[in-house]
Amino acid sequence: MANTNQNINLRKLKQKRKSGKSKPNQNKKTENKSFYFFINRTLFFPKQGILVIGDLHLGYEAMLIKSGLLTPKMQNKKVISDLKSTFKEIKKKGYKLKKIVFLGDIKHAFAYEAEEKFSFREVYDFLQENLDEKDIIFIKGNHDTIDYTFNDKLKNYYICNAGKTGKDKDEKIAFIHGHESFPEVFDKKVKTIVMGHIHPSVLFNDPDTSKKEKYKCFLIGKYKGKEIIILPSFLTISIGQPVNNYDDIYEDYFSIIPRKKILDFNVHVVGEKEIYDFGKVKKL
Amino acid sequence: MTEIYDVKERPSKDIEKVLHPLVKEWFMKKFKNFSLAQKYGVLQIWERKDVLISAPTGGTKTLTAFLSILNYLVELASKNELEDRIYALYTSPLKALVNDISKNLVEPLEEIQELAKKKKVKLQKIRVAVRTGDTSQYKRAKMAKNPPHILVTTPETLAIVLTTKKFVENFKYLEFCVVDEIHALDNKRGTYLSLSLERLNELSNIYPVKIGLSATIEPLDEVARFLVGIDDKRSVGIADVPLNKDIDVKVLTPSRDLINDKDMYPKMYSTLSKLIEKHQTTLIFTNTRSATERVVNHLKEKFPTIYGDENIAAHHSSLSKTHRYEIEEKLRDGELKVVVCSTSLELGIDIGFIDLVIMLGSPKSSARALQRIGRAGHKLHETAKGRFIVSDRDDLVECSVIQKEMVEGKINTIEFPKNALDVLSQQIYGMAIYKIWDEKELFETIKKSYCYHTLSRKDFLDVISYLAGEYALEKNHVYAKIWYDPETKQIGKRGKMARVIYMTNIGTIPDESFVKVKLSPSGEQVGVIDEGFLSRMKKGDVFVLGGKTYQYRYTRGMNLYVAGNVKRSPTIPSWFSEMLPLSFDSALEINRFRKLIKERMSGKSKKSDTIQFIQEHLHTNKTTAKAIYNYFEEQHNFLEIPDSNTMVVERCKTMDRKGNSKNQLIFHSMYGRRVNDVLSRALGYLMARSKKRDIEIGINDNGFYLAGSKLPIEKALDYLTKESLEKILSEAVERTDVLSRRFRHCATRALMILRSYKGRSKTVGTQQMRSHFLLSTIKKLTKNFPILREARREVLEDLMDIENAKKVLQWIRDKRIKIKIIETKLPSPFAMNLVLQGHADLIKMEDKQAFLRRMHELHKKSIGK
Repeated sequence: MANTNQNINLRKLKQKRKSGKSKPNQNKKTENKSFYFFINRTLFFPKQGILVIGDLHLGYEAMLIKSGLLTPKMQNKKVISDLKSTFKEIKKKGYKLKKIVFLGDIKHAFAYEAEEKFSFREVYDFLQENLDEKDIIFIKGNHDTIDYTFNDKLKNYYICNAGKTGKDKDEKIAFIHGHESFPEVFDKKVKTIVMGHIHPSVLFNDPDTSKKEKYKCFLIGKYKGKEIIILPSFLTISIGQPVNNYDDIYEDYFSIIPRKKILDFNVHVVGEKEIYDFGKVKKL
Repeated sequence: MTEIYDVKERPSKDIEKVLHPLVKEWFMKKFKNFSLAQKYGVLQIWERKDVLISAPTGGTKTLTAFLSILNYLVELASKNELEDRIYALYTSPLKALVNDISKNLVEPLEEIQELAKKKKVKLQKIRVAVRTGDTSQYKRAKMAKNPPHILVTTPETLAIVLTTKKFVENFKYLEFCVVDEIHALDNKRGTYLSLSLERLNELSNIYPVKIGLSATIEPLDEVARFLVGIDDKRSVGIADVPLNKDIDVKVLTPSRDLINDKDMYPKMYSTLSKLIEKHQTTLIFTNTRSATERVVNHLKEKFPTIYGDENIAAHHSSLSKTHRYEIEEKLRDGELKVVVCSTSLELGIDIGFIDLVIMLGSPKSSARALQRIGRAGHKLHETAKGRFIVSDRDDLVECSVIQKEMVEGKINTIEFPKNALDVLSQQIYGMAIYKIWDEKELFETIKKSYCYHTLSRKDFLDVISYLAGEYALEKNHVYAKIWYDPETKQIGKRGKMARVIYMTNIGTIPDESFVKVKLSPSGEQVGVIDEGFLSRMKKGDVFVLGGKTYQYRYTRGMNLYVAGNVKRSPTIPSWFSEMLPLSFDSALEINRFRKLIKERMSGKSKKSDTIQFIQEHLHTNKTTAKAIYNYFEEQHNFLEIPDSNTMVVERCKTMDRKGNSKNQLIFHSMYGRRVNDVLSRALGYLMARSKKRDIEIGINDNGFYLAGSKLPIEKALDYLTKESLEKILSEAVERTDVLSRRFRHCATRALMILRSYKGRSKTVGTQQMRSHFLLSTIKKLTKNFPILREARREVLEDLMDIENAKKVLQWIRDKRIKIKIIETKLPSPFAMNLVLQGHADLIKMEDKQAFLRRMHELHKKSIGK
């Protein structure tokens, strides 16, 4: 028994080393071949040219100001400049941006706020300069109580073809917010579900000192036979909820993925220049 | 500059001469003769000269301040000349005292009225009214219509009153202004009040006579200037009333062996109980809230037949107002045998007959110690009796030296914060609400305040531009509270909400925030901890609360969930944020004492002679002297006694729990934690910066330590000078929790964070969370935002003590202090407490991305295993 275990571990180790060594070249390769890849805190599906953006919470600053925290306004500017640089990055990598999917919680306040409507319109105008209106997809999050396009653009989910060939040609990807489940999303043909909502992050404690730092992260794992990809929030005002310290706020009713399942998900931490694989949540 | 002179004692007959017959008769009947304080102060006030009266507690200061005022009002009232306006204003930082004083004024006035009736003298009614945050709207409206002749209030309420148009009219001929408990105003409340006093000067057609009342404090010149402001036309007399109360103080050690005696605590409680039983009413000071509860519980548990709810009580600031009031009432009525308080009963209100004050743990300064024991025998001429009970050997030395200072009348100095821009923002906002100002007039009024005398024009204009919402990079005008017309140079209020926002948000005391500690999973609440303390902890840390140990499990909102019954020893000290700092003066006194002992131990002095010397030098008994001798001898034999000329630095390697070795430097820097905070952070920062790694620091009053992988101390010491200190320290605190916490306080004072806005008020947790966000946004705008500058100033000057740290660096340069780095294997006896208390903060130097990469390497290694 002990022997087999060792063998397996050795094999794992070798694999790790291999992948570690050949990393620089492989990055490009995997991007070319892979079904999706990360660009900073966004997700890109190269085949379909779909860019996926996590929770935005436009109007968050306005809410803070309204509640008495008089902060200078910077949120919209930052969102637009970050989107711009993401678009550039896609171009630089030799791809074309064909569609953009927002995973919900595009706005923040539950009630109508004029200030927020202006913020939304500003971002929406910017998007329309770059994409056709029909290629801008808004998924309805729990904060999206009002459709500020006034054009019935908010969808509960968006499903598209995964763009694979051969026997997998019918495979589909579903995009949802993550607070509510829909039977269509768990259809047999859907193999991948992309969601936001929980603002995942990880908290690292320095073993030597009392230092603590939080980073945004992606979570990737399996649930009900589907590959689940959870995106970090796009807004930079807050980092998110640490998933490795999750007793804090996470209740099972909060998201469609139960907490226990999250523990088996893989963590991909968003660094400034690269994304770091940190293995399973429960091992952190 | 304001002229300062000494006020002399005046003969009683001179006072009698000026008193109205009614007042004289009433006074003589009640008191027989004038107190010393009255002989110093009454005539000075009668002659309408500004005066600072410094007298020990238990004096008759209040009546000293009011006798001339009452006399004047009675005279007017008897001639039917009393008008409907405020003649005198009394303000005290203590709300409880405000209520007390009004009672103390109403009573004499009623008695005088009674006397007048008997003598068939017609006397107009003299009205006294209290106004605090608790005063009802109805009473406030009544007051505005029918103003009191004497208004009793707090600094905060005074500021509100000053922006109330109707009410301000009543101040147009203010004649007297009494400021009580000045010694407790060496903080931003004082800064705030100093500006309000200038506003009173500005709006009253008569210059109101300033009467300041203070406990024994130094330097009196500065306190007097604080009272009257800075102006060539002003002068102020100082009435330094000598202490005529005997003090009887002793340091008690519950055990002969403060280190190895396992029964130390039981012994301490029996010492305590014996003392309490021998006296009628005892007041115990514990310094911290948690200790207060602990002492009460232990006494009840250990001596259930002696102590019960009916005769013992705890008193501290986390208790509800009504509860505290009840305890004070019971204390006055003599119903309680013993009251245990944190620091809450140090000030003010009359608490009745107390014949013994016990201090558990050091009061940290001689002025504070005097203030505390002054609570005993709170009547003139009675002996004030106080006992220190010490719990460890550093405490023993510290308390003994403070006791020496008390006996010898050496009083430590206080300092008022200067040029605080957050307080200034709030006041300018209030001033703009009251009227339209000329920029020049506004600046000149402000500069007359002692706390803003050196305010630069740039700082002033920065604040104006912040308030006008014109701040360089801030295009959205979110801060716009006033308007400023650069053409006419006029300043005024902006918006309809201005007054409401101002009135619901002013004040200088930051909301304290507590996190509830609950057991997991039951949710049973076991206590509260300071929010700042929580931020120092991480999952799995073990800490002490209410005498029990708990382990951090997780947080949810403002709740911390913990596991109880933890067998492990604490990994983090629990009292950090509550600690009072040792005064610099007392620290220097300890250094001098160390030097004297070191000389004797290194020389040929006999042991018995040295013990005899300690006994005489510290005015203490043989047991205490012996215990101190033994402690010093251990240090002397093990390493070297650090003293006023030698800063011993121990360099050693330590192992943490995981077996990683770490370098450690222990500095025996006996200058109090406020100075040590400066030195440790500056040195730590320099070393961390040169090696790009984080450094852990631990600080107490006796020294500090630095720990990290690499510690190039010699280089850092070369680099750190009096001149470079400020710049290095500003950089060092830039990313600390301390700065972000202080920034929240400053942002709240400057009304960038409104506690109460559009009918909603915010919890502190929300305030803190959001202030983090605000801070990072502001930093992106400009590093020189005036309120951010103020937060830095507050950290460097108020929380820490950069000025005295500069002095220490100068002494090092002058070779008055020699730094001696010695390699050791184990921490020396003097270093024990410092090492045991654990780390206080971390100097973050490693870049966030570099940390992420390091964590990733660690992760890869761990799966590689």
